[in-house]
Amino acid sequence: MAVNGGRPKRLRDYGLKSERVLWPGKGPSAFEQELGDLESRLGLTTLEKAVAWAQTKSMWPDTFGLACCAIEMMAIVSSRYDIARFGMEAFRSSPRQADLLIVSGRVAHKMAAPLRQIYDQMLEPKWVIAMGACASSGGMFNNYTTLQGVDKIVAVDIYVPGCPPRPEALMEGIIRLHERVQAGIPPAYEVRGVAS
Amino acid sequence: MAIVQRPAIYEGTRIPSPIPTILEVPEELLASDDILTVNFGPNHPSTHGVLRLVVDLDGEKVVGLRAVIGYLHTGFEKSMESKTWWKGITFPERIDYVSFQNNEYVFVAAIEKLLGIEVPPKATWMRTLLCELNRIHSHLIWLGTSGLELGAISMFWFAFREREMILDLFELVTGYRMHTRYFQAGGLAEDIPRGFWPECRRFVERMPNAVDEYEAILDRNEIWMERTQGIGLLSAADAIALGQTGPVLRASGVDWDLRKQQPYLAYEDVRFDVPVYPNGDVYDRYRVHMDEMRQSTRIVAQCLDRLERMEGEPWIADDRKVVLPPRHELHTSMESLIHHFKIVTEGYRVPEGEVYVAIESPRGELGCYVVSDGGPKPWRVKFRAPGFAALEATATCMSDAYVADMIAIVGSLDTVMGEVDR
Amino acid sequence: MSLEAVPGLVETKEAYGETTLVVDPARLLEACTYLRDEEGFDMLVDLTAVDYLGWASKGVAGYIGTASGRDINRPSTQGLQALPAPKPKRFAVNYHLLAIRRGAPRVRVQVWVDDGEPVSSVVGIWPTADWHEREQFDLMGIPFEGHPNMTRIIMDDDWEGYPLRKDYPIGGEPVRFSSAE
Repeated sequence: MAVNGGRPKRLRDYGLKSERVLWPGKGPSAFEQELGDLESRLGLTTLEKAVAWAQTKSMWPDTFGLACCAIEMMAIVSSRYDIARFGMEAFRSSPRQADLLIVSGRVAHKMAAPLRQIYDQMLEPKWVIAMGACASSGGMFNNYTTLQGVDKIVAVDIYVPGCPPRPEALMEGIIRLHERVQAGIPPAYEVRGVAS
Repeated sequence: MAIVQRPAIYEGTRIPSPIPTILEVPEELLASDDILTVNFGPNHPSTHGVLRLVVDLDGEKVVGLRAVIGYLHTGFEKSMESKTWWKGITFPERIDYVSFQNNEYVFVAAIEKLLGIEVPPKATWMRTLLCELNRIHSHLIWLGTSGLELGAISMFWFAFREREMILDLFELVTGYRMHTRYFQAGGLAEDIPRGFWPECRRFVERMPNAVDEYEAILDRNEIWMERTQGIGLLSAADAIALGQTGPVLRASGVDWDLRKQQPYLAYEDVRFDVPVYPNGDVYDRYRVHMDEMRQSTRIVAQCLDRLERMEGEPWIADDRKVVLPPRHELHTSMESLIHHFKIVTEGYRVPEGEVYVAIESPRGELGCYVVSDGGPKPWRVKFRAPGFAALEATATCMSDAYVADMIAIVGSLDTVMGEVDR
Repeated sequence: MSLEAVPGLVETKEAYGETTLVVDPARLLEACTYLRDEEGFDMLVDLTAVDYLGWASKGVAGYIGTASGRDINRPSTQGLQALPAPKPKRFAVNYHLLAIRRGAPRVRVQVWVDDGEPVSSVVGIWPTADWHEREQFDLMGIPFEGHPNMTRIIMDDDWEGYPLRKDYPIGGEPVRFSSAE
């Protein structure tokens, strides 16, 4: 309404006030009530718990399928094992949009550099699941070309054993990761440093 | 009489020279400074694994292409030289991880050829059944991922629904979903469990309806046809020169299927057709895959009919120098105990020689070349992977193609990087 | 199939239903051209190199005791089958050929070379040999003469050594057992 000498207009210039000013006796909103419930159940501060809850409910994985484990990883996207009920069916192709790196398959030394590059391109907070025996420890391939465990180059949160692990086993790994996050355990790179 | 039809899809040859597998940018385009080099790196959403394509683009047209492989090299061949024959059977499965029992079978067939061991018919028929189930499994994964890449995203969920049925069958028979390790030199590792026949029958009844569903979604879908017809042309002569086998060769008009030309297992005793299409493009390769799924279901039904009458027959050869004795004998027979001990610790010895065994895997001719020195471990094992040859054809298929067709073409060649890199 | 007329033929071996033609490396291109044009082997299915370093010294014996195996009367073998005969040179390069016609005839062409001795490249005859030869060069170190793009394909570009050779170690890490502390 009034010209205010070139400054950008603020809400009060329009005559609007925040709802606390308008209704001083207003109680907590639905979101604040839910946070309060969370706070009474867990032991973290409200904001941290809310953030952990949000991170858990939509932790998007990166498409990093390498070998046989990738086929079982695709199986959990399929309708029988349905990872969409955890909010994770959006496998992002770009690591910059992904939270979770599921390294599924054997990592050759030639592939180690791209793996590290993709891990570096992911934004914090980020988690890594080493799916299968080859990603956890080199698997049955103890030779000149297979990296003996991806924890040599990235920090791993959860190791899922199996060759390949059943989709239920990978799901258990993912659920345990969710529980870790909600319990407040920081991602592996804060605990262990860049690589163990 | 010629058994192969070789139509001319295009004049002459499109194989680039001097290097047959690299599409080089023409000189005048290089000079014009308008070329953009893009790296389709080893990690990309197209789920064929870790393949890297370095592509030169002139606008949307692909004028240069180079494939870089080796990102999944696992040293299978060297690892198998240090494992006994029996323990080494776990390795070939992981090479082509999508049709794993075909790989197991080709290695076991090479061992059996060297040993000269006779496999009982029940094992032969069961192996045929499992190899055909693997073929359907491989084609379902191919269909799901190809559809996903080209935009028919729901194909993925449709195809994987039937895949789960197949994996249930594998779990019922062998105890594990993938990488089952069920074949032994001489037959099968264990008897076929009861309850398998009705489950397999249910699958056989379901599968043709499922293929009808897939075809209803894609066959006459305008977008699918636009994106796959006339794309990725490969003539028969070029395909043979580039060592293509399997659906790629059959889609180029060459009637070649090792199950008919060089029958192995029980393929001589089953009736099935081999789909051959003349146009050599991506759509024809899709049609070959779909028809093969139907034919494989036919074969599985015929194997079931035969196997149901073989209840109680031996499932592995009786040669105690190669095959473990049944466990109940270990309590009573000293010779069985010694055989068991020798086979497990030292391994059975395979006579000296070299053999090459080839079978028709879902991708084409899968071959295993084995050199034995007469000892308990192989001297050299080499797997001829059909995907390796298929990737060599990428440059030829991509002659005047657009960027959007690249994914369709590479997908239609049906490669699995595990077998390309070994 | 008149495989006796192959140029450069040194020896023909028949075993396990397979024919192996041992060819002089100097005349390999002639032999392959003959096989493709005259005999109709239009597909090169596989190209494999084998390293026979340490073959005759292995002292490993053959198949103990089945129907085709044991001859307890053969001297100096303790009843075990014949010891492997020594091979002419260190490396054998095997070409598996297939003719796309009724009967699926196959043949294996074998050339023997020493370490460093080059083998003529057959890329001009069967274009599919491109990657096969690169792979064998990468893993076994056999130089193919006349190949347009002789670079490593499977290992890293700056990898040293040829992994599939017998004198190259298997690598990997020693396995520690938790009870061994």
